[in-house]
Amino acid sequence: MAALLLEAGAMFAVIALAASVAQRVGQSVIPFYVVAGMLVSPAVAGRFDLPALQNQEFIELLAELGIVFLLFFLGLEFSLDRLLESSGEIGKAGTLDLLINFPVGVVVGLALGWSVLEAFVLAGIVYISSSAVITKSLIDLGWIANDEAQPMLGTLVYEDLFIAFYLAVLSAVLIDSGDFVDILLDVAVAMGFLLVLVAAVYLGTEYFEAYLDVDTEELFVIRAVAVTVLVAGVALAIGVSEAVAAFFIGMGFSSTDHLHDLERRLIPLRDVFAAVFFFWIGLNTDPAVFGDLAVVAVLAALVVVTTPTKVVSGFFGGRIYGLDDRRNLRVGLGMVTRGEFSLIISSLAAGAEGSVVLSETIPAVAVGYVLVMSILGTVLMQYAGSFERFVVDREPSEPTAD
Amino acid sequence: MTVYESDLPGVGKKFEIELGDDERLVVVIHNTGKREVFRRTGDEDSVKLFELTDQLSRQVGSILEGAYFQPVTTQETETMLDENTLLEWVKVVDGSDVAGRTLEDVDFRNRTGATVVAIQREDEETESNPGPETRIRAGDTLIVLGARDACQTVESMVSATDEADLETLEERDPDSRDDA
Repeated sequence: MAALLLEAGAMFAVIALAASVAQRVGQSVIPFYVVAGMLVSPAVAGRFDLPALQNQEFIELLAELGIVFLLFFLGLEFSLDRLLESSGEIGKAGTLDLLINFPVGVVVGLALGWSVLEAFVLAGIVYISSSAVITKSLIDLGWIANDEAQPMLGTLVYEDLFIAFYLAVLSAVLIDSGDFVDILLDVAVAMGFLLVLVAAVYLGTEYFEAYLDVDTEELFVIRAVAVTVLVAGVALAIGVSEAVAAFFIGMGFSSTDHLHDLERRLIPLRDVFAAVFFFWIGLNTDPAVFGDLAVVAVLAALVVVTTPTKVVSGFFGGRIYGLDDRRNLRVGLGMVTRGEFSLIISSLAAGAEGSVVLSETIPAVAVGYVLVMSILGTVLMQYAGSFERFVVDREPSEPTAD
Repeated sequence: MTVYESDLPGVGKKFEIELGDDERLVVVIHNTGKREVFRRTGDEDSVKLFELTDQLSRQVGSILEGAYFQPVTTQETETMLDENTLLEWVKVVDGSDVAGRTLEDVDFRNRTGATVVAIQREDEETESNPGPETRIRAGDTLIVLGARDACQTVESMVSATDEADLETLEERDPDSRDDA
């Protein structure tokens, strides 16, 4: 017991240190959590005979809770009514983003000689921008009050909604490596379960409302955590993505009066568990894989191919919102960051252990990819002004033409 | 006034208030309760003015709303006795030309037509109906009775801070006196 508590303490100390360093250098915390996990893993610290953190079961549990709470919060942001209200522009910009970035991942995967399933996993990883990092940068840079915030947040919403269904399908396919009929059956069970959840969300607002209508803050938090974790656990037990289940529970609460209290009271929980999740990803990654030429080549190819595609899709997504080209460029540069969901997808693939590509190559590539893209994306946003000149400098000739 | 409201998924809500002259006040209310206030001119980037916590912004909000204090200008600085006669409070600032001089010396009544009917002294009781030998000090508040124009001339004299200003005022004085 003493050893366990000591390990937990050491883990949080390392995470806190990583967060402080990230803050000091003005970067997103996610890559720093991942790298911190790598550094104290048996693969690195252990190799130098330093005290290393073992991948204990309790860390995995906390990391799992991290995924659940990340998706729960995502669901909280989705009120069905609000979503339908602004579906026009979000729908167009989001579909454009999907049609450009998702197929790119599939094509790169197939070009590497991977199976359709493996390419499908890779496509998800490169498609999904990081809501957490991008939103934080938007606030830090003050863009949140500008017009470019709308297409960026709108596209993130579309991506997140897509990824919820993507995860549902992917987990059903990955968990069963049997024949086609089995897979279909699993997808059907998953969809059936999700349909029940969606129906509950749609019809059960008053039950969600009453459930959290309690007097004490303590009971409120405990009830919210209980239903979220329990439903996620049930989902996982019957072969449905726990993340997606948590997403729908969040969605169920999004149209209640408790929305604001939930966000305020559970944010600390989410932040703690999500940090452990990113740390755990690092803990399970042996940096030696980056010495593997194949992994590095795939990684480099992905960075080179998928950075411009996001800039392009973001740029034209901004045009759909009727912004000027300077802001369109910002939308494009801002969408480059990939983060938490790419890691969630890769951890799902790693857990399935279907093939070497799924269980080893893709997780390694995903970790490297998120490290590069989260830093690259944040830097691109910080120095957007330098890139804007390319667009704006040409503009003086245009007004005379007008 | 037009207020534009939009959702910021994952962040909160944004309100844009038109201020005229192509300027907008942008208020971002975060889900955490934090408020950020920006100003934006035309197509420029928003400039952040300040940010407040949830509680502080409620307080500031009710101050702006006037719940704590309603300014009533006419009662605060002047009282109308009839259409053209006012009772006005005039503060004597440091360095004012009238500071250190007696009422007789400054001679408001003959120069402007307005009368100093009382002097509020800092940390002392108000001196009502001050005599001609009463000396004006910096920090005093003169309560002046007279026509609107006359009161304004007194204000200009009291706020003048070098002799030249006082001289030019003196030249204008006869007019004021005639009006009164």
